[in-house]
Amino acid sequence: MKTERRFERGDAVSKALKEGSSHFTFVPEKRRLLLKDLLNVTLGVLFVIAAWWVIAEMIIYTKGALFPTPPETFDAFKNALYGANINGETIFSHTGASLYRWGLGYIIALVLGLAIGLFFGTMPRLHETGMVPVYIIQMIPGLAWVPIAMLIFGLGETSTIFIILVTALPPIVINTAGGIREVPPIYTRVAQMSGRDRWALFSKVLLPGAALSIINGMRVGLANGWRVLIAAEMVVGVSVGLGATIYSSRFSLDFYTAFVCIIVICIIGLAIEKLLFVWLENTLRNRLGLDRED
Amino acid sequence: MLATLRGVSKVFTNPRTGKGLVALNDVTLEVERGEFLCLIGPSGCGKSTTLNLLAGFEFPTVGEAAFKEAPIKAPSPERGVVFQEPSLFPWMTVLQNVTFSLRGTEDRAMRYLEMVGLSDFAQARPNELSGGMKQRVAIARALAMDPDILLMDEPFGSLDEQTRRKLDNEVLDLWKKEGKTVVFVTHSIDEALILGTRVVLMSASPGRINKEWKIDAPWPRDPSSPRMVKLKEEMIRGLQVCSCAKSAPQVSFINVDLEV
Repeated sequence: MKTERRFERGDAVSKALKEGSSHFTFVPEKRRLLLKDLLNVTLGVLFVIAAWWVIAEMIIYTKGALFPTPPETFDAFKNALYGANINGETIFSHTGASLYRWGLGYIIALVLGLAIGLFFGTMPRLHETGMVPVYIIQMIPGLAWVPIAMLIFGLGETSTIFIILVTALPPIVINTAGGIREVPPIYTRVAQMSGRDRWALFSKVLLPGAALSIINGMRVGLANGWRVLIAAEMVVGVSVGLGATIYSSRFSLDFYTAFVCIIVICIIGLAIEKLLFVWLENTLRNRLGLDRED
Repeated sequence: MLATLRGVSKVFTNPRTGKGLVALNDVTLEVERGEFLCLIGPSGCGKSTTLNLLAGFEFPTVGEAAFKEAPIKAPSPERGVVFQEPSLFPWMTVLQNVTFSLRGTEDRAMRYLEMVGLSDFAQARPNELSGGMKQRVAIARALAMDPDILLMDEPFGSLDEQTRRKLDNEVLDLWKKEGKTVVFVTHSIDEALILGTRVVLMSASPGRINKEWKIDAPWPRDPSSPRMVKLKEEMIRGLQVCSCAKSAPQVSFINVDLEV
């Protein structure tokens, strides 16, 4: 290993200009970039809180309604974290119940979605017909599944999991099939002239070529499934779950708790989408030998 | 004859817009074993279509495409193709790309990577290579398939002049060493003159074969020798008499080539 002294950015630039070299390296400014990201996120969150506070005060002033303000909600949030009783359960068991339903619904959607997507992606003649039902299902909003789920499964966990599944499914199918179909034809030609069989074409060319699109479908599906949680837990029949708690606040009038649940939903959803999936996509790009688009 | 197109026409139609294109009209071409055949002509004259028919990526609307006297029904490792666009799988190392074909054993792959001067990059990913290096790998991949014929579709069209010249000479060396048959598509008369044992000139709208020259001059060839200059003038005249030459861009690129 040759050790090379690396300069800070400014020094490296002036050194390169002085020496007339065309390429140079410098110490990557990871910490600075991280701080910048953190600052941006903090400012964004502060903006949301400020807007929320203004609106809350306006509503309290004009309507006299008990609109939870940020400090009140954070108090409730703190209490919840210390194990306060919410509808006979802690915030943790509510969150756990929701995560379980979401996870189960999503895993079924993932298995089904990948299978259907890969099938239609590799069968060009069936693709157009096969995608029509998927597009129709995708157009049905989350709440509209409530009566359908009730009619098929009645009140209960099954209905909840069904609604999560059916809203997570379409993006997975569409992006998987689309990703396979959008693999550049030149790659298919290379595989054909190489004399390799259809399995090699599928596993070594089409699948890696579609991987980024598939991951994207998985991400949108996961977010869809999480966002539909409240609708899905309308039909769960028990009062455990973040969605169920929010839904039942219209009877209990405990809006502070409802706001706490909304915050928990946001935090979990954002963490999975922005941290897990961004990491997953970067890792995949790296492994696929694709350059990052930045 | 190693490969033949007999009375081939190729028509593309778009059923949605109702538009049709005759890419090739009654083309007959015979490729002899061991020759270095250059196909030249303006854009849209069907050079690439001709190559795709020989490769088995496309099939004649009329006529017959045959390889070793048998009709071409599908692509095969017997006919290795080097594409103009980047065609290496980005998710594989250079070595994995070259060994991808059925006959691409690691020994052969390393031998050809060495031949194109890239054995040190066997474990690199394509995105770590320059454009010229990628095309070298694509050539090594085609050769590792142990093909009877090498079909090259403007392989260096997107490279800078200097790199292109260098790679032209490398291809020439490989051809001499390996004794393969090469069909080389280019729109540069100079490139064809430097490389080919035979040059076939195609014209556009519809694509057809216009004229051909056999060149038996030894290599390295000097494009400024009186004979080459004369040949080049003939080819330029050949390009100008074809109907496509009426449109400005195609004429201008001839002039550009002249100045080189």
